Amino acid sequence: MEHYIEHGPSFAWLRVKLRPGVELQGEAGAMVRMDPQVVMTTHLNAPKNAGFFYKIWALLVAFMRKVLGGETMFVNRFTSAGQGEIVLAPTLSGHIIHHALSAGRRLFVQTGSYLASAGAVSTQVRLGGLRTLFGGEGLVLLECSGEGDLWVNSYGGVVPIEVNGSFIVDTGHIVAFDGALDFKVKSVGGIKSFLFSGEGLVCEFRGRGTIYVQSRNLKALVSWLSPLLPS
Amino acid sequence: MHFEIQYNPAHSLATAHLNVGESVRAEASAMVSLSSQVDVATNTGPAGRGGFFQKARRGFLGGESFFQNTYRARGPGATVSLAPQLCGSMVVHELGTGPSLLIQASSYVAAPDSVDVDTQFQGFRGFLSGESLFFLRASGYGPVLLNAFGAIETIDLDGELIVDTGHVVAFTEGIEYSIDKAGGGWIQSFLSGEGFVLRLRGRGKLYIQTRNPTEFGHTVGVMLPARSS
Repeated sequence: MEHYIEHGPSFAWLRVKLRPGVELQGEAGAMVRMDPQVVMTTHLNAPKNAGFFYKIWALLVAFMRKVLGGETMFVNRFTSAGQGEIVLAPTLSGHIIHHALSAGRRLFVQTGSYLASAGAVSTQVRLGGLRTLFGGEGLVLLECSGEGDLWVNSYGGVVPIEVNGSFIVDTGHIVAFDGALDFKVKSVGGIKSFLFSGEGLVCEFRGRGTIYVQSRNLKALVSWLSPLLPS
Repeated sequence: MHFEIQYNPAHSLATAHLNVGESVRAEASAMVSLSSQVDVATNTGPAGRGGFFQKARRGFLGGESFFQNTYRARGPGATVSLAPQLCGSMVVHELGTGPSLLIQASSYVAAPDSVDVDTQFQGFRGFLSGESLFFLRASGYGPVLLNAFGAIETIDLDGELIVDTGHVVAFTEGIEYSIDKAGGGWIQSFLSGEGFVLRLRGRGKLYIQTRNPTEFGHTVGVMLPARSS
């Protein structure tokens, strides 16, 4: 798909040229501008052939995310009768990377990092364990599979890291990672350091594959701001 | 006078260079530094232009700080440097013989006295979308300093374009505009997260920003502890 990532690395946006018959799926609220011939429809973020129970599950996750603080689980789909241009942008300052997904490969994307996808890419919600929800670090993942284009956004810069063996990343710094990697969410040094160190939760990866890591952490911004608020 | 902009795109700083007797008006919170040749006066707009109600309208409906500061050069080499609150770019729009400029209230930073800044009431505020839609109208001649959240894209519009209201910085008068829902229906528009969009038609200049301040505020805001009172 013809696309341009502009104004990076601090304020990147994604500009896509839509052709007739091609569909772009984007995160809710990401649309910046579009040509008048582009048509937008809104859907619950579930695969197109998903069954009834999956949709109920997706709705439940959407509700949980809303309560616990997170983005909506709705997506917008854009099509154009003729040639049409559309621009999508993430909420936070940072960059966008394009990932070409091939059949048989999966990419796990932290939900806040998902920007858009096209082609036969399906996106499904996965929870990285209950503990991540209650820990407030919210490692809620979108499992992206199929064949097509995928765009993910980072808060701050984004670094691809080729892992061969084991590697540990703070959950707040994870953008996306190869589905071939095993991962486990844990605290850095037991329950005591989890509660008192402020170091939060980390994700331990094992195997071979790519991890995209972002240079900023939204949680860190929030915890910096929180004590400064007037009571 | 002229504006010099440095450190675009992320952390822009604008410096107004004033000749003796010249002045620049700026949003009260924007001042970073003043050279010693500058006198400061706080007022509610240029003297003699508009009564109290017009000024109050500018302050309360325009969403801009009610008080603008006027910086006047007493001696040669006077400079005033200005910065917006958020990370992003600044740009100068030159007003002259062309059309006046409609500016999203929070995008306005500064202008000399030769530019008249007035409000245009834009109807619904924060309905569903939480995005305020208030425009200031800048007319006259001289440079107008604008700020963006993120980078700025300048578009020479010729035709029609749909822009999310939170991404509009400014556009020249003469472009037809209407507020529209983003999707097919109202419920869909609400769920889509887009709320309202501006449908712009015609020819003119349009400035849009790559980030949406309201959206950023909501994203961070819901994660902050609740105010106790």
